Amino acid sequence: MKKLLCMVMVLAMVLSLCACGDTTTTDPSKTPGESQNPSSSKEPEASKDPASLPTVTLTVWGGEGEESQAFLKAAVEAFKEANKDKANFDIKIGAESESTVKDTVLADPEAAADVFYMADDQVAALVAAGAIAEVIFETDKVIEENGGQDSGSIKAASVDGKLYAFPATASNGYFMFYNKEYFSEDDVKSFEKMVEVAAAAGKKVSFQMDSGWYLYGFFNGAGLSATLNEDGKTNSCDWNATSGTYTGVQVAESILNLVASEGFTAASDADFQTGIAEGTIIAGVNGTWNAKAAEAAWGENYAATKLPTFNVNGTDVQMSSYAGYKLVAVSNYSENTNYAMALARFLTNYDNQVMRFEMVGEGPSNVQAASSEKVLADPATAALAAQGAYATVQRIGNNFWDPSQTLGTILAQGNPDNIDLQTLLDNAVEGITAPIIE
Amino acid sequence: MEMEVVSSNPFKALGAAIIKGDIWTKLSLFIWGAGALGRKQYIKALLLTLIEVFAITMLIQYGTPYLQKFNTLGEVEREVTREMDPDTWEMVEIVNDYDNSQLILIYGVCSILTMVAIVLYGLLNMVRSYALQLRAKRGRHINTFWEDIKSLKEEKFYKVLLSLPVLGVVIFIIVPIVCLIFVAFTNYDQNHLTPTHLFTWVGLRNFKLLFTSLGGAFAYSFRKILTWTIIWSIFATLTTYFGGILMAQFINSPKTHGKKLWRTLLVITIAVPQFVSLLLVRYFFQDQGIVNTICRNIHLTDFLRNIGLIRSSYIPFLSSPGWAKVTIIMINIWIGIPYQMLIATGVLMNIPNDLMESARIDGANKFQIFRKITMPYLLFVTGPALLSDFVRNFNNFNVIYLLTDSVYKTTDQTMSSIRAKEVDLLVTWLFRLTQDEQNYKVASVISIIVFIICASLTVVGFSRMIAGDKEGDFQ
Repeated sequence: MKKLLCMVMVLAMVLSLCACGDTTTTDPSKTPGESQNPSSSKEPEASKDPASLPTVTLTVWGGEGEESQAFLKAAVEAFKEANKDKANFDIKIGAESESTVKDTVLADPEAAADVFYMADDQVAALVAAGAIAEVIFETDKVIEENGGQDSGSIKAASVDGKLYAFPATASNGYFMFYNKEYFSEDDVKSFEKMVEVAAAAGKKVSFQMDSGWYLYGFFNGAGLSATLNEDGKTNSCDWNATSGTYTGVQVAESILNLVASEGFTAASDADFQTGIAEGTIIAGVNGTWNAKAAEAAWGENYAATKLPTFNVNGTDVQMSSYAGYKLVAVSNYSENTNYAMALARFLTNYDNQVMRFEMVGEGPSNVQAASSEKVLADPATAALAAQGAYATVQRIGNNFWDPSQTLGTILAQGNPDNIDLQTLLDNAVEGITAPIIE
Repeated sequence: MEMEVVSSNPFKALGAAIIKGDIWTKLSLFIWGAGALGRKQYIKALLLTLIEVFAITMLIQYGTPYLQKFNTLGEVEREVTREMDPDTWEMVEIVNDYDNSQLILIYGVCSILTMVAIVLYGLLNMVRSYALQLRAKRGRHINTFWEDIKSLKEEKFYKVLLSLPVLGVVIFIIVPIVCLIFVAFTNYDQNHLTPTHLFTWVGLRNFKLLFTSLGGAFAYSFRKILTWTIIWSIFATLTTYFGGILMAQFINSPKTHGKKLWRTLLVITIAVPQFVSLLLVRYFFQDQGIVNTICRNIHLTDFLRNIGLIRSSYIPFLSSPGWAKVTIIMINIWIGIPYQMLIATGVLMNIPNDLMESARIDGANKFQIFRKITMPYLLFVTGPALLSDFVRNFNNFNVIYLLTDSVYKTTDQTMSSIRAKEVDLLVTWLFRLTQDEQNYKVASVISIIVFIICASLTVVGFSRMIAGDKEGDFQ
């Protein structure tokens, strides 16, 4: 017994001595290899030996939805099969929402997946942080397939003329869903007419006013801009313009006019789904991700079209929108950038864009795939294509979102405190264009 | 015999060692084994010197590359060039010799702490050598190595036991806290994210951002959020505390039937994980949630609108600043009372019955008993818990974040420009700043402030409440 105790104590002492050694010698000793040392550099990779294939481990993050995970699984299997002469692939698939993947990546860029899906609004921030790698694989071919240098999807994936991601879908924008039981094709041309019809029927038209992403459609439609500056961080915005065709106040007034209608509601995404299922919402601005829900709720009466006009100072103005794309990016810290590039390229090629459209319902960015009959027959994709003429690629810095959301929230509540509209817009613009404190 | 002892004052002891120490003692400051060597403790001398050599070598080998760059936190940004063969997929990837500010900061701090430890140990070692010198001079027994080992498992066994916990505290608490404090003096934010970019020292600028007009929106939001944090902590603590006591009183009352049933029902709210119930409640109280539907159906919404309390077609339980704050406190009462009730029940059962009886015989009524006996007793016993509850509520992330995230949209244009909301506590604002904005510099200033407030409250409160001589004050 006593011996045992002795041994335990000796062990504890040795342990504490070892441990002491650690504290007094700083931590690098604990991290084997040179990878942590700032003065180390990666050797050029030269791991091609046809006799014994290398084993390559990759991680892919895709959207959380069941459908997109199923698609990803199928596409990854196909990639492994098609390239088994290149390497033995061990590819792990993770779920990470495309709309917020930026936050996860920036929290620790080195721990990000090698390949990940994202919405195009996050490109600027990820490039600025050096988190994603420039496309170095079949770049020209990718640009050509997606409609050339000036196409929306390529512009959305580029910063300073350099391509940073592979376009995967072109259906991340918004348009108008409506129920044909209540609206004629003429009704849906004007927002004012739509809320009037809805009010008469005791129902609602939904528009997510308390989100800068949607609110942009009104201001940009009236020719007021909000866009990223050359520095890639700060914004320019003239939503408070007092001169020009339409002033900011006039736009805000027409928004307040719509909001005041009994037939209007500023439902969130979740509320929109509940609303159409319950039948309280009979039309609404939303995206392809809710197409299946709308189709299920309205059946034969399900229809979709471009955004309506809205009335500014007596004139009907076509609403604008953000054209949205989903992209596939490669981490700048990937251990196997080349294989990651190849995988990202594979996930976004013609075949896989078509497969994604069939499995997930998202419209392709590949020009050829987008013009296929199946895609054109889909009402949601067709509506999005029609809205495409009035849509702009999203180029906006981080400071846009919260001030515009606050502006939208105040407008959606009908400006309860009766703040002077010019002051309201001035404040919003001040927030949107605020300099980045260095 | 006791004429020359080592003073218990470390500075006096050190002074004595420096002045009166012989050559071995003096040398032991630089060569740790010297003191032991002078008294013929050869194994100990060898071990101590080896440890010293090891520590200093490691410091020089691993610490210096970081320490050299500590004053700038690095100057070379990461640059990568890649070329890939489209057919073979062969790639040439060249990464430059870049600096990583984050690693420089962390390892720099570790190295500095190590240096401090080495110097302190050197001084301590000299004092010990001096003590040894005195023992030798007086001709008293000097331990052999084995006797030293033996003493470690007998009268000095506490040292063996404490060594691991102390080490844990240093590695997992002190080092991270020191690093965090240093971040507050850098510009570590979204535009200076490592490893691609570098961050560097900016002095007190982040503090000025929060406390002076330089910060504009920051200073404004900080003031508002701090005020609400304090109001929230006071209300959340007091309402649940007194609610819990009242509830315990009711259930403990001899007239109450089914005591166990009531207690069980209340405790069920504890059994359900807090975040589950909070998220559910958030959906109930949304603008289009079930509570609003009920209120509309019973015409409460219309009534409130008629008397001018609300202006919307729903009750903004969690979406307007005033309503949201009240709702949050109410919901916190609901989830907080059961805990306090359990604590109060335990304490109430321990109040000596003779106190109550004699009061009753003296003709005191129930309220008087409660006010003069029960409450003072409870306060005496649960005072420290009350204080730690306040501190806990000050940092009550769960309730605030889970109830307001994505539901509450601020209409304060100044606050929204820096991601703050009226209902944010300092800790939830800090979370948003780090999660959504990667604004680590401001976040660490906020956490320093939170630490200072909570630490001073705790220190002052505890020293007043449970000072050793207060034990007899009750009764």
